[in-house]
Amino acid sequence: MAWQKQILRVNLTTGVCAIEPLNMEWAESYLGSRGLGSKYLFEEMDPAADALSAENKIIFATGPLTGTMASTGGRYTVVTKGALTGAIACSNSGGKFGGELKMAGYDMLIIEGESEKPVYLHIEDEKVEICDASEIWGKTVWETEDLLAAKYRDPLMKFAGIGQAGETLCRYACIVNDKHRAAGRSGVGAVMGAKKIKTIAVRGSIGVRSSDPKAFYKIVNEVNARMDDREGMSREGTLAMIDVTNGFGSLPTNNNRSVRFEGANKLNPEAMHTPNENGHTNFVTNGACFGCTIGCGRICKIDPTHFSVKDRPEYHGASGGLEYETAYALGSACGVDDIDAATFAGFICNEYGMDPISLGGTIAAAMELYDIGVIDDKVTGGIKLEFGSAEALCQIAELTGKGEGFGVDIAMGSKRLCEKYGHPDLSMTVKGQEFAAYDGRSMQGMGLAYATSNRGACHLRADPYEHDFETTEIAGKAENVRDSQHDVAFLDSSGLCLFPGGCGWGLEDYRTLVDAACDSDWTDERLKLTGERIWVLEKLFNLKAGLGKKDDTLPKRILEEPADVGTGKGLVCRLDEMLPEYYELCGWDADGVPTSETLTRLGLN
Amino acid sequence: MKISITLFGGLRQYLPAGSGYNNCDIEVDEGVSLQTLLAKIPIPDGKPFLVMHNDTRITPEQYAELNIASDDQVVLLPPIKGG
Ligand code: SF4
Repeated sequence: MAWQKQILRVNLTTGVCAIEPLNMEWAESYLGSRGLGSKYLFEEMDPAADALSAENKIIFATGPLTGTMASTGGRYTVVTKGALTGAIACSNSGGKFGGELKMAGYDMLIIEGESEKPVYLHIEDEKVEICDASEIWGKTVWETEDLLAAKYRDPLMKFAGIGQAGETLCRYACIVNDKHRAAGRSGVGAVMGAKKIKTIAVRGSIGVRSSDPKAFYKIVNEVNARMDDREGMSREGTLAMIDVTNGFGSLPTNNNRSVRFEGANKLNPEAMHTPNENGHTNFVTNGACFGCTIGCGRICKIDPTHFSVKDRPEYHGASGGLEYETAYALGSACGVDDIDAATFAGFICNEYGMDPISLGGTIAAAMELYDIGVIDDKVTGGIKLEFGSAEALCQIAELTGKGEGFGVDIAMGSKRLCEKYGHPDLSMTVKGQEFAAYDGRSMQGMGLAYATSNRGACHLRADPYEHDFETTEIAGKAENVRDSQHDVAFLDSSGLCLFPGGCGWGLEDYRTLVDAACDSDWTDERLKLTGERIWVLEKLFNLKAGLGKKDDTLPKRILEEPADVGTGKGLVCRLDEMLPEYYELCGWDADGVPTSETLTRLGLN
Repeated sequence: MKISITLFGGLRQYLPAGSGYNNCDIEVDEGVSLQTLLAKIPIPDGKPFLVMHNDTRITPEQYAELNIASDDQVVLLPPIKGG
C-alpha cells in the first residue's frame, strides 16, 4: 500500500510538532492529496473563519501515488481557505517537493495556528523542528532556497515556501517549490505569510513502498507504454496551445475585450525556439517534475540585452519559462507580445512568489481602468499602464512582488482593485479569482466550469475541452462539466499530474495505477463516487463559508458582450440556461445546495 | 491557383516538406472544394481536427460543398487540451 499512513501536525502557536496516524477510513473514501486534504480541512476548521487568521489551517497533502515510480507521481496539493477567494483552495504543484515529503514518511503535513515571529520548518524524516527565520524573512524564494541549502550543506533538500509577496499578504501569493514550480492559485502563499512561516525544508530517506513492488513495477510499465502521444508536449510544452486557442477564438486578450491576440505568434513555440535579431534563443531545454516521463516544463533565458534585465546579471541565467497560461496572463491578457518581457514577469512571479495568472489578470484589469481614464499616472506612480506596454508589465510585476507603490493595489487582485475604483464589472474573475486562458463565450462549457468551480475561475476543475471544441451549442455541456468535475477531483487526489490525459492516458489508466498502489478494489464506479464525494465536500465547505448561488456566476462582459471573432463570434455565455440544468444533474436544489438524498448517497450526512 | 493553408499545434507534423512553420501553399484547380483541398494534406484517418474557413467553423458535412477561393483563409486546428 503506497500510503505512508502517517501525518505530521505542526502547531505554530504552541510550537508542538506531532506525528499522527493517517485516518485510513478517510483515505479509503477520499483517496489522498486534494480529496483527503479537503476532508481534513472540512473536519478541522470553521469554513467561516478568516483565511488570514490563526483559525485557518494549511495542509500539504500528497497522494497515494506521490513518490512512487508511476509517471508524473510527484504531485502534492496545498489545501486551505483561499486568501484570494474566501473559498476552499486546493492548489496543486509538481516539482520534487511532494515526493520528498512523502519519502520523509508523511502523507500529509498540517500546519495550524500562527507564529509570533517568522519561522521555517525543517523536516528530516522523523526529526522535525520549527526554526527561527529572521535571516530569511524578507528574502526571495530563490535566495531562501540557496541560503538554507548552504546552511544544511544538502543540495538535495527540497523547499516549498513564499517570497516577499506572501510576507506582504498579496492576495494571490503562491507557494513555490523547486524554485519554479508552484501551488499557484487562490492565495495559498498569503496564508503561509499570515502564519509567518517562510518555508518548509524537507529531506526524506524513508522511501515509498508498495506492498508488491514487482507487480506494481509491471503495471507502471504497462500503463506507461500507453502514454504514446507525449512528444509534442515534451517539445513545446503547453505553450503549443496558444496558436490553437487563438485560431479558435478563445484566447482572452486585453482583459477579455477580445478573444484573439494579433501578437500570439510572438509568444508561441516558434518565437520561443527561434533566435531573435541578437541571435538569442529564449528556449534552453525542457524540464520534468519528479518521476515524469513527459517533461512539459520550459526552461528559458531572457536576452541579456532586453530592457528588463540589462545590467542585471542575476536574471541572465535559465529558469522556468512561459507555459500556455503564463503566456496568456503576462502576454495576451495585457496585450503584451514581447516574449522576453513576459518571461521576465514570470521569473518575478517565481522569485517573489505570485500566481502569474492572477497577476496578469489584475494588471489587465488595471490597464482597462487606465484606458478608460479611471486611474491615471498619479495613481500608477507615473507608469503608463497602457495595453501592450511591456515596460509597464515588467515594472508593475516587480512593484507587486515587493509590495511597493501601485503594486500594493495590484496585490489586491482584480476583484478588489476594480471595486476600489468603482468598476467591479471590469474584473474578469469568478469568486474573486482571475480567469485562466480560455473564454467562456466560444467555450460555453468552460464558462459553466469557471462559474461553478469551487476554487474560483479555473481551467483545471473540469474537462470541457473536447465538447467545447466540437460545438458552441449548449446541449450536453452541463452533463459534461459535472461528470468531468468529478473525474478531475479523483485524478487530483491520486498524486499524479493531469497532463498525461492529453498524452495518451485515459481515466482507466489512472484508475489502474490507483488500484495497484492502494491494494483495494478501486473500481470505475468507486472512482466516480469518490470524485463526486470530493467535489460535493468542497461545495459544502464553500456553503459554510458563506458562498452560494450568487457566486456561481461570470462577469457581465462574458454574459452580455458577444465575442468579437472566431467560433464564438456573436455569442455570449448562456450560463443562465446551463446552470439550472447543472444543479439538477448534480442532485442539488435550485439554489445550488446539495439535497439530503445526494448527501446520503455520497455518505456526507 | 494557390491556396494558403495553416495548420496549428500537433497538426504541423503533416505539413509537406519545405513548408513554413505552420503553413504551406497548395496548388489546386479554380473552385476546388474543401474536401479536395483537405485530401492533399496527409492527416491520418481518425485524427480529429477542426476546419476554420474565413474564421467560421466548418463541419465535415460541409466539406464537399464548400468551394475555396484563392484569397480564402483555411486554418486547421487540433483539439484544445487544457494546459
Ligand atoms: S507533465 Fe509537466 S507538469 Fe505534469 S508532472 Fe510532467 S513536467 Fe510536471
